[in-house]
Amino acid sequence: MPVTKVLTDGIGEVDLRDLAVYRARGGYRQWERAVRELQPADVLAAAETSGLRGRGGAGFPTGRKWSFLPTDKHVRYLVCNCDEAEPGTFKDHMLLEEAPHLVLEGILLGAYGIACHHAFIYIRGEFKRGYEIFVRALEEARQAGLVGSNVFGSGFDIEVTAHRGAGAYICGEETGLLNSLEGKRGEPRLKPPFPAIEGLYGAPTVVNNVETLAYLVPILEKGANWFASVGTERSKGYKIVSVSGHVQKPGNYEIALGTTVREIIEIAGGLRPGRRLMAVQPGGGSSACIFEEHLDLPYDYESMAKAGSMLGSGAFVVFDDTTDFVAAAYNMVRFFAHESCGQCTPCREGGHWIETVLARLVRGEGIEGDDAMMLRVAGTITGLNLCALGDSIEPFLKSVLVRFPDAFKARIPSAAPASAVAS
Amino acid sequence: MADNAVNVTLTIDGVPVTVPKGTLLVEAAKTVKQEIPVYCYHPKLGPAGLCRVCLVDIEGMPKLQIACNTPAADGMVVHTRNDKVDAGRAMILELLLVNHPLDCPICDKGGECDLQDYAMAYGRGSSDLVDPKTRKPKGVDLGPTIVLDEERCVVCQRCVRFDDIIADERQLVLKDRGVRDIIATSTGDPYRHNFTGNVTELCPVGALTSKTYRFKSRPWDLQRTQTTCTQCAVGCQMFSDVRYGVPLRTMSVEHDAISDGWLCDRGRYNIGFYDSAERIVQPLYRRNGTFVQIGWDDAFTLWGKALREALRARGPEAVGAIGGGRLTNEEAYLLQHLTRAVGSANLDWRAGLARQATPGAKGGTLAALDRAQAIVTIGEPLRERAPVLWLRILKAVRRGARLIAAATPAEAAAQCAGLAPIALVWDGVDPALGAAYDGAFAGFAEVATFIASEQGNARGAEAMGMLPAFGPGYAAVAPGRGTRAMLEDARAGRLRVLSILGANPAAYAPNAAAEALDALEFTVVSELFMTETAARATLVLPARGPLEKSGTTLNLTGDLLPLHASLQAPEGTLADLEMLIGLAQQLDVELPSAEDLERAVIAHAAKLPTGFGLGDARFDDGPSVAPPPHVHRTIFDGAGTAAHDPRLTSLRALEVGV
Amino acid sequence: MSEREAKFPALLAELRPHCERLIAQYERKRSALLPIVHLFQEREGYVSHEAMRAVAAMLDLTPAEVESTVSFYTLFFRRPIGKYLIQVCRGLSCSINGAPEVMARCRERLGVGHLGTTADGLFSYEEVECLAACDRATCAQVNLEFVYDLTPAAVDAMLDDLRAGTATVRPLVQTDPPGAIWSIRQDEQVATGTKALGSRGVTNPNNAGGVGDAAGLIMLDRIVNKTVSFHEATRERAVRDSRAVRDVVEEEEAQAHAGH
Repeated sequence: MPVTKVLTDGIGEVDLRDLAVYRARGGYRQWERAVRELQPADVLAAAETSGLRGRGGAGFPTGRKWSFLPTDKHVRYLVCNCDEAEPGTFKDHMLLEEAPHLVLEGILLGAYGIACHHAFIYIRGEFKRGYEIFVRALEEARQAGLVGSNVFGSGFDIEVTAHRGAGAYICGEETGLLNSLEGKRGEPRLKPPFPAIEGLYGAPTVVNNVETLAYLVPILEKGANWFASVGTERSKGYKIVSVSGHVQKPGNYEIALGTTVREIIEIAGGLRPGRRLMAVQPGGGSSACIFEEHLDLPYDYESMAKAGSMLGSGAFVVFDDTTDFVAAAYNMVRFFAHESCGQCTPCREGGHWIETVLARLVRGEGIEGDDAMMLRVAGTITGLNLCALGDSIEPFLKSVLVRFPDAFKARIPSAAPASAVAS
Repeated sequence: MADNAVNVTLTIDGVPVTVPKGTLLVEAAKTVKQEIPVYCYHPKLGPAGLCRVCLVDIEGMPKLQIACNTPAADGMVVHTRNDKVDAGRAMILELLLVNHPLDCPICDKGGECDLQDYAMAYGRGSSDLVDPKTRKPKGVDLGPTIVLDEERCVVCQRCVRFDDIIADERQLVLKDRGVRDIIATSTGDPYRHNFTGNVTELCPVGALTSKTYRFKSRPWDLQRTQTTCTQCAVGCQMFSDVRYGVPLRTMSVEHDAISDGWLCDRGRYNIGFYDSAERIVQPLYRRNGTFVQIGWDDAFTLWGKALREALRARGPEAVGAIGGGRLTNEEAYLLQHLTRAVGSANLDWRAGLARQATPGAKGGTLAALDRAQAIVTIGEPLRERAPVLWLRILKAVRRGARLIAAATPAEAAAQCAGLAPIALVWDGVDPALGAAYDGAFAGFAEVATFIASEQGNARGAEAMGMLPAFGPGYAAVAPGRGTRAMLEDARAGRLRVLSILGANPAAYAPNAAAEALDALEFTVVSELFMTETAARATLVLPARGPLEKSGTTLNLTGDLLPLHASLQAPEGTLADLEMLIGLAQQLDVELPSAEDLERAVIAHAAKLPTGFGLGDARFDDGPSVAPPPHVHRTIFDGAGTAAHDPRLTSLRALEVGV
Repeated sequence: MSEREAKFPALLAELRPHCERLIAQYERKRSALLPIVHLFQEREGYVSHEAMRAVAAMLDLTPAEVESTVSFYTLFFRRPIGKYLIQVCRGLSCSINGAPEVMARCRERLGVGHLGTTADGLFSYEEVECLAACDRATCAQVNLEFVYDLTPAAVDAMLDDLRAGTATVRPLVQTDPPGAIWSIRQDEQVATGTKALGSRGVTNPNNAGGVGDAAGLIMLDRIVNKTVSFHEATRERAVRDSRAVRDVVEEEEAQAHAGH
């Protein structure tokens, strides 16, 4: 299957940051049509019918997420999650910088879909440039009457606030994000209550990923059925895959869900000549690796789950035979330990402990039993944590530890068998 | 509200349990006597979901759930112990110990530490840890009262949440993140408010410790006595923990009706004076301008003789007594009994700014405060005057009550329009102000009144009859002279002998009081220390402090509370009760038997004072005179003694800033 | 009083209207905390003590709450940093595509390690988590401007340009001279050891009771000398440990990088 261009249409070809350019290509027409001709329920229905699932990592059906909002509470919020920090993911970064109006139109449609009048976009602190681009686009849109009170004379009021973070991966977790947006430490909240019931300022809140909201624009334009007609049974439509690692042409590629893993590697230029594929991490830092035998699996939510991994945010990292998987495991666990908010015991202590052991292994000072200890701790804490971060420590570590045990054994000074080094 | 009335039935460890809907599993489990270990959860602070040790297995749920944030539901089948639960808890404990220093042998908490207890009950017994532990600073000085050991901290954030939710101070916070999380104050600021000591009790491990108790004792070597704190009128229940006759610490008692489980720093830490070298331990008699040490027999003889001579020469108007607010009910009762027995009605407990301690007909209970929709504070800030009462008010505010401190009574009444019930909390100082509020709120249906007086047993003294216009049980009597009038009489030469038991009137309006005391023929003062008043006495009687005697005390809402002696008093001191018995013998006054005394105290304490409201004219004793700034009223009126505890030096500064 | 401190009231007055506009964007005041702290950091180069207190006053918070929040985020600097902040991505995609060599060259050229600042105060250096530009590995940020496709040679060119002032990236404001350590990873208490109990002669207002009041100093004296008897050994250990922590932190970082 070829690369498609839906959200990525025009990116790199024209300057979509320019409002005039964006509008000339049909931009904000769906927004105008929504507020003039559609009811919020129509937008919700389109989201549901399209089968659109969250593109930020969890893959939760978007329409269903919206439907959890209590109908008797009228102050509600939409928050667009642009705190993209999942290792290997770089699609929202691109959309924000290259197509800010598309992002904004998606936010506006989402806000209309849940009938809220104040939407926020939480932009990762490191995306200072992206924040500035978005704020400029937002101001332009405001000047043009696309944002504000009584848009298009429809009587619908909508305010959008851009909020920049300050460096914390955990703010990508939706309740951590809400705390950060409220000016607090970005610590995830205890659930229940869930944000749909008690979110921002205690009001019902929906948090959606940038890409998820952006897909609302083509869904409304071309119809929910158009979107639903693409993909596999439970993974509908398109997805931007951020391919990186050991491929010749890393980049963001928009594909129909169900494109095979092998095809995605090929789209990204394949491996370097003479290199052998060892593993693919198909869904961001929190996902387990898949291997050679999974290459012909369709890249969709179910197949990745069936292979013991997940599609996640669509970060697709390819590893060839030059990879040091002990160092890779250390890198991944160090990331989670560094980004742990420290609130709950298993994540705070478990992550740091495993990181310490892996650092020792990387130095070649492993001892017998390190592997078992890491599997035991990482495995037992999975499911005990306050949020998903702590549960993310195990998948990658376990997948490479089980697949490449000799690489880890080779780091034990006395016990390194000569044959193990080759693997 | 209807939902709250509904019960749910679930099964915990095979036992069917019915609890109100919304009950958390951690609480529901208590009904089947099943302990669920917790670090971050605390009934007063609510769930936080941080420590993850309260894991339980609920049938139908794939993952273990935390009992602290899972409400009981109908038909739920909960296992608090099985292999899955045990494995989860063992892992949490193993992880908590990964970076814990395990310095239990020198840890204050050792022996009463939740980390020790749960590690023993649920821990794995061994660890795979081979790498070095993370080091953090130990012995971090947080402020005047608290020292923090960051390595021992399990980041349960109870202290942080206490500071935020309960004390509304928000000085203690979490800094940094992840494994580097530390508890800290804002850089450069000490941790310092009126309730800091509570965090040492909330801390489930030995991270937060009291400076006064650090490295002092193992908990099992302490002799524990439950008693009542007398340092303000709230009457918090507390434990006095004593070793080798030294009060090493006080701890709160879970007593929701009175103290809600908290203590203020004044009540908690003002115990160092008991073994001060400056205590008076022998009767002192002034001869030729200087004090000489005498024996108790001589002291009683001199006291009795002075009184007898004054009575004979000038009649009952020439003698009087001041005291009661710092005495027990029994002592206050005997003091007025003795004074009235010799025919005098010159008696008063009031020695400071306060004029009234009993709110009268509309007097409220602490429970009524919990129900109030509006709380009006009148006079001095309660945070210092009645600290734990203030916490209860904050709790009501969290529940949605309005806290009102208005410029005028009319304004306060206007702000309360439409709200009920209403609580008026007055400091008891300015009767005109009290009366004005009483009047302004006369038209409101549900009003409960409170007086946060400055001495611990002020209300008890009033109930026992230590007022010129009221006898025991607030019985109307022919009025005698109050404190101010007695001092006037002294200056005018009409009053000749004054007995002051546990009061320090000379600290207020020092010049006028000193002049009056100097004009007296004979002044007897019972005290622990050489106060401004004792220094002017003819005879100083060495008294015992509240931890050194037993009896009862009456708090500001009329709860009769027990005092149990936990300390051996210094040789040479006597309780005021014993002094009064000695004096009665000198005066040939018959005292009630111990049983009669107990019955009288209970009966008078239980009398509902009706017929007066706030600022009633019968409590009038002239305008209050503000003391000079060096007199730290709220701390020092409690026991009159904190000046002699060096450990409280810095706490005193806290009060000056008020 | 430093020059920065002297200028702070004027800065506060200047920024106040901007802060009020930021506050007005939200339904609750506290939401403006991050934007306002960003604003002060842009003007002072780091989040100063004065700025945190001013923000607390503006948002009806305690200074502790502001500091707690600020300390959570890696892009808020609680100490002065260099004029150029170089943040090289240490994410997995970059790490398997040349990041270790790029980081080694940065360390070598700058002569400082992770979280270090050069002695001339020009550069601060940090190795950061995935910057979401994995297709352009190795990526980095200089003063939050992205730099892509870094190689050791490109590092040389970049540093030369920055030093020569020919790079397009603007220097950060520097109102106070940076020290060697600036990260949130080293909390004040840890790094300076001033909070350690019983360091004799320390009149740090953090200690024992005081805000510099006489009672506090008396209290301190009593704790140190006699009245509250701390074990001598424990006291010494507290001082030693608080120093040791800094060493441990640095050692950990060094070890981590030796591995990569």
